[in-house]
Amino acid sequence: MKNSKLLLLIIAVLMMFSITACQQENTPDDAAPIKTDLTMGYTTEPEGLDPHRTAAASTFAITNNIYDTLVGVTSDWEIVPRLAKEWDISENGMEITFKLRDDVKFHNGRDMKAKDIEFSIKRLKDVESPRARDYANIKDIEVVDDYTIKFTTEKLDVELLKSFAYPWAAIVPEEAAADLKTKPVGTGAFTLKEWIPQQQLVLQRNDNYYGDKAKLETVKLVLLPDATSMLAGFQAGDLDIIPLTGDQVTVVEGNAEYKVISEPMNAVQIMSINTNHEILSNEKVRQAMAMAINKKEVIDASMFGYGDQIGSHLPPTSPDYFDTNDIIEYNPDKAKELLKEAGYENGFDINMSLPKNYQLHVDGGQVIADQLSKIGINVNIEIIEWGTWLSDVYGAKKFDTTVVGHTGRLDSFAFLSRYYSNSNDYISLKTGEVDELLDRAQQELDADKRTEIYKEIQEILANKLPAIYLQTPRTILALQKNVDGMEIFPIDFYDFKEVYFN
Amino acid sequence: MKKNLSLGLGMILVLLILAVWILSFIYMPYKPNEMNISERFMKPDFNSEHILGTDNFGRDILSRIMYGSRNVLLVGVGSVTLGTMIGIILGALAALFKKYASSLIMRIMDGLMAFPGILLALMLVTVVGRGLKGSIIAISIFMVPVFSRLVYSMILDTENLLYIKAAKSYGSSKFTIFIRHFIPAMLPRLITQYSSAIGSAVMIETSLSFLGLGIQPPFASWGLMLSEARQFFLVYPYLAVAPGIAIIITVLGFNLIGDGLNDILIYRRLLL
Amino acid sequence: MLRYVISRVKSSIVVLLVVSIITFFVLMIIPGDPAQLILGTEATPEMIEDLHKAMGLDKPLYQQYLSWLVDLAKLDMGKSYVYGESVTTLIAKALPVTMSIAVLAMIFATAFAFLFGMLSAIKKNSFIDYFSRSIMQLGTAIPSFWIGMVFIVYFGLRLKLFPVSGFVTMSESFLGFLKSIALPAIVLSFGEVGTLLRIVRSSMLDSLMQDYMDMAKIQGLRAGKIYLKYALRGALIAPITIIGMQFAKLAGGTVVVETIFALPGIGRLVLTAVEHRDIVLLQGLVMFITSTVIIITLMVDVLIMIINPRIKSVERGE
Repeated sequence: MKNSKLLLLIIAVLMMFSITACQQENTPDDAAPIKTDLTMGYTTEPEGLDPHRTAAASTFAITNNIYDTLVGVTSDWEIVPRLAKEWDISENGMEITFKLRDDVKFHNGRDMKAKDIEFSIKRLKDVESPRARDYANIKDIEVVDDYTIKFTTEKLDVELLKSFAYPWAAIVPEEAAADLKTKPVGTGAFTLKEWIPQQQLVLQRNDNYYGDKAKLETVKLVLLPDATSMLAGFQAGDLDIIPLTGDQVTVVEGNAEYKVISEPMNAVQIMSINTNHEILSNEKVRQAMAMAINKKEVIDASMFGYGDQIGSHLPPTSPDYFDTNDIIEYNPDKAKELLKEAGYENGFDINMSLPKNYQLHVDGGQVIADQLSKIGINVNIEIIEWGTWLSDVYGAKKFDTTVVGHTGRLDSFAFLSRYYSNSNDYISLKTGEVDELLDRAQQELDADKRTEIYKEIQEILANKLPAIYLQTPRTILALQKNVDGMEIFPIDFYDFKEVYFN
Repeated sequence: MKKNLSLGLGMILVLLILAVWILSFIYMPYKPNEMNISERFMKPDFNSEHILGTDNFGRDILSRIMYGSRNVLLVGVGSVTLGTMIGIILGALAALFKKYASSLIMRIMDGLMAFPGILLALMLVTVVGRGLKGSIIAISIFMVPVFSRLVYSMILDTENLLYIKAAKSYGSSKFTIFIRHFIPAMLPRLITQYSSAIGSAVMIETSLSFLGLGIQPPFASWGLMLSEARQFFLVYPYLAVAPGIAIIITVLGFNLIGDGLNDILIYRRLLL
Repeated sequence: MLRYVISRVKSSIVVLLVVSIITFFVLMIIPGDPAQLILGTEATPEMIEDLHKAMGLDKPLYQQYLSWLVDLAKLDMGKSYVYGESVTTLIAKALPVTMSIAVLAMIFATAFAFLFGMLSAIKKNSFIDYFSRSIMQLGTAIPSFWIGMVFIVYFGLRLKLFPVSGFVTMSESFLGFLKSIALPAIVLSFGEVGTLLRIVRSSMLDSLMQDYMDMAKIQGLRAGKIYLKYALRGALIAPITIIGMQFAKLAGGTVVVETIFALPGIGRLVLTAVEHRDIVLLQGLVMFITSTVIIITLMVDVLIMIINPRIKSVERGE
């Protein structure tokens, strides 16, 4: 009796294996019609799909396909119409009026009107909204008529228009607002079909979309936190697009089946320094550290060369970028001398807090620690969770040094405003050299003059070093060769509307 | 005969690891944390300067394996020793003072056993801090219920034996009886359990390190080396070979010794 | 018997309460603040304070705990901060994944352990005995994440027999479902085989030494019948206990395998909850896992009492 059951079990197990083994052979795709179902791998789970209630880039990457913003941005940083057909900025720059399209419907079938814009931007200014501070300057929102809306600011902000292009400035309908985290309703080219946390998220084409409809029927995003599984799935043909890590490029490149696209991220990787620290408050010490760091090696180790060296807090892609790389160059001998001058001939001990979930920073930090040890600075690495990093390092400013990235704005002011001496930021420039320049930059209507001011700020930062500026890493995507239309944008989002198979 | 085979093989493996451990204090081919980016991802080659190759930072894998043995042994032996001591005390208290301590202590042990292991470790490590200290404390708390339950049930089993009853009737104190009679009676099982527990402690340590909760970079631990290798595994599979084998040898060694001792100390006594 | 079960249930509830209190307060102690995690690097101290109020995190700890407890009594485990989804739904979505791997792993391990454990005991000191004893030792000595990595490369990539990550639901495709959980289950069963094999072998050896075995042989019964009908039956209790216990452990211990194979199960949900300081989600998960373990343990104990009433007094320590 028992014997036969056991035998059955064994047979069942064996059969399972043989079935799975046989089934493998019949791969489809002979002369199939052109595919309209895209599968892409992604690494970080979105934190809900409500763009007004999170700061997670992983959310915006996806929600930008479900919701629309008033204006859009191209991959060349150009602002283009989206829900707004046209806009008008008043003479003094304090008022901006948008004319809306009148053919836009929410996914629930209701027409989008100016009062929805009012509701959405107000919601973005709520207590629970991480971006509230960015929109605090908007003091008045006026619904002129159903398709015209006017914003008035408290102070002049010359970059105001750009703030309506960010994915968090999405337009949402009031009646669906309570459940947007799991049941997003927008006006975008895609709707959410299904989200299984930790597994996948499926977008479905919105056939009532006001513009050119998406070419793809569905986009399936598969969560794969692990780079190895990601590449494996891509090579097996299960995934059409994946983000690549630098070391994997050699595997994919040169294979005619695949394409690689890469763009510098709109981000900077920096080693932030606590200028309240007894030793680190000394400018010479910070300069010595900067000289001891071989940025090329950092980029090689953390991005396998897929990054560009920087000397200050703006990425090379920024229109206001100024090359400050030669202000302080790699020179370990001179670094030792500087340390001696500063009175630390025998070196010293410092801590370095690295955010665990970001391999880029953990790797970069380890290389820096090794390099600093060569001029006698002994670095104790502590790897902490992102939550701890935010509360201890960023919030409470309890740290000596840390390596981290700051990302994703279209205007230089948003990048640099943290250096105001009174900003209470963890790397504010407390000596105040940039305060007045930042004020001027925000008020300057002439773009060229603005760029001049930003150049000056970048030079000051490169010398004063409230942080040591390391690199602008690149985004690398690998695509199957039949995938076209995928672009990398200056803000962290994907746009699947234009993607198609050929 | 084969009893000694387990013990003998186990001894050989553990001695091998111990030899590596001792050697790591005397000589390592390179500094284990020294990076050399231009020489990274060198494949293992017996004739080259890096016998086991180099990792993604160009660090010498052999030196890191040698250095890693220190952490693995320290955490393995340290945590089990700590866990055993606390476990014996708690188990004995529960068994000897049944009225007051038994249900309280054993309920807490039940709670610890029921708590999802990895979650317990996660929380302990976050409270105590990652690294050596955190791993030792977290793993020793894993071990406490194992040993306290063992001691508890062994005392209950032995306390009705004649010679213990006799000792009680002479008026010996509970403490004296515990030291004079219970401890010697329990010793064989404790030693056996101790050896196997080191095997599992090493395994837990590598899992913790693998999940990033153990020894922190840049320092080497075998689990951490595997975790770092995972990123590059597809392209450079050799990165995972050496640490994997080192872990298997260590765990196998301690488990085999445990089994061998079990056969000799416990089965033989039962048969005689 | 009934009294025993009732007293066990009572003390289980106490254990659960203790566990929930520990989880709650440990999470309060450790650094990291859910409000700050939501607001990210843009947050000002005032914004964090405001959000604390909005989330109810400014209330005293015991009030937060009590209100959570009251909700739990109403079978409402709350909404996760991260996903904005109810904890019950999240668990319901993740549970099938973890259960499928655990069950399949247990089937693999049990089948293998019984087959080789019995053979090994019957043919003691033969080649097969040494073979299964080696497996027994290796099974417990090989780290699951290591063997997982090796499997992914060889079976997943080189031979392309199995998908290397992700989960296919049963309703999508049964075959795909089996394929997606086969590798993780085999990896998970590796550790279990060692433990089980050891128990099966030793209890089979015990059973073979019993007097009734000699009787059976003297009566001239066929060897196969002797082993299966008498020896195996005598040797079943210990393995069943262990299977129960191991299964309970498995249900909460799949985190490593789920991480390697990128499976959306309970284990990874736990990791996410801890990383995001999602107290509500973590509390729910801890309660769920602990009660599962406790219930299974209780069931195993009762089962053993039914099979063998002698054990009762020892177990209760009375």
